Amino acid sequence: MLKSLIAASISGALLFTSIHAQADWQDTLKEAKGQTVYFNAWGGADNINDYIRWSAKHIKEQYDVTLKQVKLTDTSDAVNRVLAEKAAGRNTDGSIDLIWLNGENFRAMKDNNLLYGPFSTELPNYKKYVNEHARQSITRDFGTPVDGMESPWGMAQVIFMYDTATLKNPPKSMPELLAYAEQHPGRITYPAPPQFLGVTFLKQALYELTPYKQALSQPVDKADFQKVTAPLWAYLDKLNKVAWRHGVTFPTDSSQMIRLLDDQEIDVALSFDISAASVQIQQGNLPDTVRSYVFTKGTIGNTHFLAIPYNSSATAGAEVVANFMLSPEAQMHKQTPTVWGDLSVLSYDKLSPADQKKFDAIPRGIATLSIAELGKTLPEPHSSWVKPLEQEWRKRYAQ
Amino acid sequence: MPLKSVRFITWLVAILLAIPVLIGLIGTLLPAFHYFPPLGEYHVTFAAWISLLHSSEFYSSLRLTLATGIISPIIALWMALSILAWGYQRPFFQKIENLLAPILAIPHAAIAIGLLFLLSPSGWLMRLFSPWLTGFDRPPNWITVQDPYGLSLIFAIIMKEMPYLLFIMLASLHAIDARKTLEVCQTLGYKRLTIWRKVLIPQLYPIIRMPIFIVIAFSLTVVDLALVIGPNTPSTLAVTLFRWFNDPSLSKRFIASAGSIALVLVIAFVIFGWEMAHCFFTRLTKAERSNGKRSGPTDYFLRLGVVLGLITLSSAFVSLVILPIWSLTRRWRFPDALPASWTLDNVQHAYPLLLELSSNTLIIAIVATVIACLMSALMLETKRLSKTTKNHPFDWLIYVPILLPQIGFLFGLHILLIQINLNGTLVAIIGLHLMYVLPYVYLSLKGPYLAYQEDYLVQANRLNNRPWRNYFFIKLAMLKPAILTAFAIGFSVSIAQYLPTLIAGDGRYSTLTTEAVAQAASGDRKQVGSMALLQAFFPVFIFWLAHALPPRWTKWRLSIYLRIKKCYKQIPKQSLK
Repeated sequence: MLKSLIAASISGALLFTSIHAQADWQDTLKEAKGQTVYFNAWGGADNINDYIRWSAKHIKEQYDVTLKQVKLTDTSDAVNRVLAEKAAGRNTDGSIDLIWLNGENFRAMKDNNLLYGPFSTELPNYKKYVNEHARQSITRDFGTPVDGMESPWGMAQVIFMYDTATLKNPPKSMPELLAYAEQHPGRITYPAPPQFLGVTFLKQALYELTPYKQALSQPVDKADFQKVTAPLWAYLDKLNKVAWRHGVTFPTDSSQMIRLLDDQEIDVALSFDISAASVQIQQGNLPDTVRSYVFTKGTIGNTHFLAIPYNSSATAGAEVVANFMLSPEAQMHKQTPTVWGDLSVLSYDKLSPADQKKFDAIPRGIATLSIAELGKTLPEPHSSWVKPLEQEWRKRYAQ
Repeated sequence: MPLKSVRFITWLVAILLAIPVLIGLIGTLLPAFHYFPPLGEYHVTFAAWISLLHSSEFYSSLRLTLATGIISPIIALWMALSILAWGYQRPFFQKIENLLAPILAIPHAAIAIGLLFLLSPSGWLMRLFSPWLTGFDRPPNWITVQDPYGLSLIFAIIMKEMPYLLFIMLASLHAIDARKTLEVCQTLGYKRLTIWRKVLIPQLYPIIRMPIFIVIAFSLTVVDLALVIGPNTPSTLAVTLFRWFNDPSLSKRFIASAGSIALVLVIAFVIFGWEMAHCFFTRLTKAERSNGKRSGPTDYFLRLGVVLGLITLSSAFVSLVILPIWSLTRRWRFPDALPASWTLDNVQHAYPLLLELSSNTLIIAIVATVIACLMSALMLETKRLSKTTKNHPFDWLIYVPILLPQIGFLFGLHILLIQINLNGTLVAIIGLHLMYVLPYVYLSLKGPYLAYQEDYLVQANRLNNRPWRNYFFIKLAMLKPAILTAFAIGFSVSIAQYLPTLIAGDGRYSTLTTEAVAQAASGDRKQVGSMALLQAFFPVFIFWLAHALPPRWTKWRLSIYLRIKKCYKQIPKQSLK
């Protein structure tokens, strides 16, 4: 009796909200008119900055909302700024309206109540086009429940790049990678943790090497960290010895790896951006003989998001921007390899036939893999694994 | 300057300087003792210190920081003194002097990226000699940069700081009347290097003590250079702290704040040790310096410094030359000595933003530097009038901001700015810039200003008793070269500020530097090359002006003046007709 009462009231509430949702969204649009949204986003890639400028133009035309990008070198600059504002008691009228983030930055902001929301699940385009079951990472960002506090923007997956002119059969698993490095000393490396791609490399290796794969989806304190990760360290002990510059230094990030690949210092580069190779070839930063590939057993993938700080002065405008970013038009333009090449977060089945055709017609760059070729995505381990992996790595190899 | 209530002004300035320093320090001290309400921490504990002292990364970073932070200033000073002693008043030296300005003006990160490309195993040096000489078709697996001992980092710091020291020394030479001393000692039969070693350097040192301390503090706290060319397993303490401050898990900022305080203590300790070592060294060499010998074996020490110094200067120059080449590059692979294909795309890409970026940059830099010049003049005037040889409170207070590690210090200031509702404004940015520009301007103006022969001004006032007019048109006009040089230094310091611009402006005001650093985040050499060129353009231009203007000033002023006068004379005649 009680259960059915609760169920009835919940479904009633849901119905109520859906009727009101339409009206609510109209209110949001009205409120957003004339607002300026300060979008704090990493500004290190020209093609991404250009895409944001393109979006700003369309958002201005369609909704009369001004979108301004604040270019960051690190997302944590924005997190620090929100924190400083909270410390100064600036609980309204904050300086940031929208942040591009995921993973640990999201967890830090969510856990410290620095975010506005929930809002994302109520966005019209989210309800219309996003299938929450398509990928685990849409509802669980590095294992942290999203709970509507951030709106999906794009999908990323680890890919490897190599030059077909110098390397015929690239290594397609962690053991093969080690074997290759032993034959060609100094030609294999990975970014130094705690850079996120470096940590991702550790996770990828851990997935392949540990016999206790189940433990990775649980919080780290429920597992025997040493036992689960022992094969990883044994592997890295061997790999670092024959790595680039003898494992004494490591590249800082993906863009440095791409430069090293172009300079022919290394043979395999990593990226979280599936179209990185095509974009860099086009910009003249890689030879056109470079191709992408993934490991046979799949690679780690995740989703990146947009979130609104709790003290934003333009939440309505920020919601309008987040909603626009989820439109087929914006996602299609973003997936175009000459623009950015970032994977769409929309569910193909939910698109109209006309939009489906347009998505099918998006050209792929010469070095970009198709969705089928990208194969299986491995989920990110629970975000609590990041810290211990980082710390153990630095303890072992960075002192 | 006809000032009244000197004492009042002194204290006002001192208090104005002290407020931001205090707030910044409190903003770092409280979290270091675990008090930080926004993260729900209300109890003072030593937890952060305990975890800092238990973190083995702290010790390995500290070791590296001490090594790079002590060795670099020693070598930079040695090289700068050697080059000065060897080249002073020689015709060729003028060319070296001209080279200093661009090296001072170019941002640290940019020159580091240039150096990285010069020295890395796939870099320019290797490309020039491969494969015809080295036989390498592919770059060797050598560790020439980012080496674990920080040698390449030390080299980069020296490359950037040695020119600064040389520049300061050249500016303070007139205070010790080097030319006369040289003439007198040379007639007594002393060798050139010996005169410097025995007579001039001991006189010069007290004058350049503060710049040396700045160089020491810089070497210990530098982040951008170390990120590019320093080791990362482990990194220097400043970089480790930077990483901790930016760690996604916000609780890391407690240990980072404790680390910042530790770094401040390290700076104080190293500077103290440096002075002790100086005293000890002076005593040790006293006998040798006054033994009357006209030359000595230690002269070779200076000669070696000259050779190494010139090598360093030329690598700095080559690192500079690399940037324009990259900005025009489309494809440039190992082992090509020059790019295989060229393009204007990289430069054109920066073009649309140029107007906004340049105007923001110029407004901030010019306003901040003009205020800094006026404040310096005011402070120096009160210092002159108070007629004590004792240091004023502001004599050390203004240096505190540049001696402290930026990141933790600025967080506290940011909170203050938000509370007084100034964040995100040009005023706030200019204010923070002023804090970093003022010490450099004050320092470069101090020597010449205090050495000014006040008799000129007294005489002028006797002839025409308009003290304010005479102050500007006699005293300041006579100090023009020094003021312009101080302006150029302050200007380039302001141009190079990244974190203060970002923090005070909430990232809403982009400057050439914020844009260049955001670009440098990706490390793309083509983009960095073109942005760095734009960023260096204005400082180089101002340095050139500071150099070129004073000798031509009077001639130009008079010719303009006469022309106007002529026009005046002609106008009435014409109107009469």
